[in-house]
Amino acid sequence: MTTTTTIVTRGDRTVRRSSKRVEPIYYLFLLPTLVLFTLAITVPAVMGIFFSFTDSIGIGTWSFNGLTNYIAAFSDPAILQSYLFTFGFSIATVVVVNVLAFLLAVGLVSRIRFKTGLRAIFVIPMVISGIIIAYVFNFLFSNSIPALGSATGIPWLSTSILANPDLAWVGIVIVTAWQAIPGTLLIYIAGLLSIPGEVYEAASIDGAGRFQQLTRITVPLVAGYFVINIVLGFKGFLNAYDIIKGLTDGGPGTATRSVAMTIIAGFNGGDYAYQMANATIFFIVAILISLLQLSVTRGRNAL
Amino acid sequence: MVSGKRTRTARALAVITSLTIAGTALAGCAPADGRETVRFTFSKREAIDFMTKVVNDYNASQNKVKVEIDTSGVDVVSASFVRGNPPDLMLANYNFEVARFVQRCALTDLSDTPEAGRIRKDLQPLLDQYGICPGKTTVLPYSVMAASVIYNKEIFAKYGIQVPKTWDELIAASDTLKAAGVAPFYGTFKDNWTIGQGWYDYAVGGEVPVVDFFKKMNEEGTNVGPNSQTSFSKDFAQPVDQMTQLIKDYTQPNAGSQAYVDGNLAFAKGQGAMYLQGPWAFGEIAKTSPDLQLGTFPLPMTNDPKDLKVRVNMDLAAMIPTGSKHQKAARDFLAYLYRPSVIDAYNAAQLGFAPTTDATMPNDPRIAGMIPYYDEGAVYQGASVLVPKTIPVFNYVQAIALGGSVKDTLNTMDADWARAAFLAPKLPSDTKGSAK
Repeated sequence: MTTTTTIVTRGDRTVRRSSKRVEPIYYLFLLPTLVLFTLAITVPAVMGIFFSFTDSIGIGTWSFNGLTNYIAAFSDPAILQSYLFTFGFSIATVVVVNVLAFLLAVGLVSRIRFKTGLRAIFVIPMVISGIIIAYVFNFLFSNSIPALGSATGIPWLSTSILANPDLAWVGIVIVTAWQAIPGTLLIYIAGLLSIPGEVYEAASIDGAGRFQQLTRITVPLVAGYFVINIVLGFKGFLNAYDIIKGLTDGGPGTATRSVAMTIIAGFNGGDYAYQMANATIFFIVAILISLLQLSVTRGRNAL
Repeated sequence: MVSGKRTRTARALAVITSLTIAGTALAGCAPADGRETVRFTFSKREAIDFMTKVVNDYNASQNKVKVEIDTSGVDVVSASFVRGNPPDLMLANYNFEVARFVQRCALTDLSDTPEAGRIRKDLQPLLDQYGICPGKTTVLPYSVMAASVIYNKEIFAKYGIQVPKTWDELIAASDTLKAAGVAPFYGTFKDNWTIGQGWYDYAVGGEVPVVDFFKKMNEEGTNVGPNSQTSFSKDFAQPVDQMTQLIKDYTQPNAGSQAYVDGNLAFAKGQGAMYLQGPWAFGEIAKTSPDLQLGTFPLPMTNDPKDLKVRVNMDLAAMIPTGSKHQKAARDFLAYLYRPSVIDAYNAAQLGFAPTTDATMPNDPRIAGMIPYYDEGAVYQGASVLVPKTIPVFNYVQAIALGGSVKDTLNTMDADWARAAFLAPKLPSDTKGSAK
């Protein structure tokens, strides 16, 4: 998202530099998005930040209570735990997704049989809605795998990992990765295809083996794609909601409650203002991460 | 040819749509017979057919008031309050969400209606637990749902087990069943509400005086914690420990991965002797085994049979908002709803108990085991529904059921309670004296 915006701005600037007067029609192109963005994102966000300084429950009268919500939020172990879970889960998922997707991509651009067919199959998870994937895997984890476990007499398979507070997050990582790999895979395939064949020829003339070619040529040349996938993936996983909802609903206990889940719970639970404070904190955290990522990736050849 | 057909279809659709819109619009503003219209909200899904019939009977019985039933649900009702256009009469499940209208005194005083005089006085504390509008009776109970242990009479008879009345008898019965290879309790811990509604509520309610406990907790407010007189960690430790003992020793091995629907099926097939669910499960069990002999009894948590109580909730309560412009007409329909023939028939059909002093008790054998307790007022409301929703109590009790620490979890609940009290907005009921 962020990366794309940067490109647009950069392109825009070049246009402006080359010819002083800008066609007004360009502003017209921006207008619909600008209006919608303001109405659907900016206005609610500002309202949410405003209400985070009140005691509103979402309806009826309210009054200002200063920083009360923020003070309570910082001392709330449930909120703290949801941040820890969300970050731990995002990091684990980013690693799993990128390693597997990269290896799959390397396999799928090489000269193998059924290449096109396999690519199509691997991309299918991307087009299925997350909540459906979650419910199907929920059934597999809770019924099919335990049935298999008790049939084969393997004790650790016969109980659902979703019922184990220490391992439920593994199930969520597996399912999230299953859904996220195809998108990542496509970007890697595009990256791998952009490497000219001559460099590999040159390398093999110089006597580099297959593995050396992978580590010395492929990986450095797709480094920019790694950055994109990690940045995009991490941001997406921070907002994890639907898959967790369908798999564990934050349970067992409170083991897998993501930040987004605690915020949404505020709408049902009548602590709207308090969770708006939480959302404001999360917003600031997300901005800080974006700035960090931008400063790290600036200067690299990120597209 | 294809496109011609499509155009014709599109045209037909457009005509139908515009006719429908026109029709709805006409119906919406139809003064027709000059009757006063009362908007009546009711959204208990299982009973909509029944209540629609009641409304039709009422409309046919007189010619001054026309009641329109609105089944769009509680969120729409909340929104209509915000817009200043509330319904004229509400019959709704009574919980914290609805109690917000009580706490903010957005409902009319019904204490002068004859119906209010017929309500059992011992039910009032159960309503007040959710909050009050000082000096007013704004909510009238309509249907009370009682819940306790559901047991398989056939299995109990097979092993010669009597309904246990004390904790020791319960353990003895469970041991007998376990020795015979029958799961004494069928657990469905994948759905955390089943632990909250059943295990946790029955265990706590069988031992702790719930009304009194939450009254003290409200007084403690932000002080609740390790040093307060009353707290979850002090008062609930004993019953919750007993609950974990039952879960650990007497549920089937895969209880952690079974959901409510799995439990209904398994229980209907006789895979467990006792099931901690409410009367709503009877209908689901009957889908598989319509002739299964089932009964109910309160979960004994102490060795004194006098402590036996059943869990109740205000499944339906009647309210007339202050914003209603047809209060007199709404009261007329309210009186109709509370006619013994209507209220008793409703409760008999829904396996509920009528809250009126002149009520006839239900005669369904499945809930007969709870009648004496309800009759004597030996009832409590679930501890899981009496905490603000900001405390994820279902998640917490699920953690306990799956082997988490009782002490740590109850301490967390204490901290959450204190935090909720710290954040709670000021309400009219809090400022009784100072407001005037």
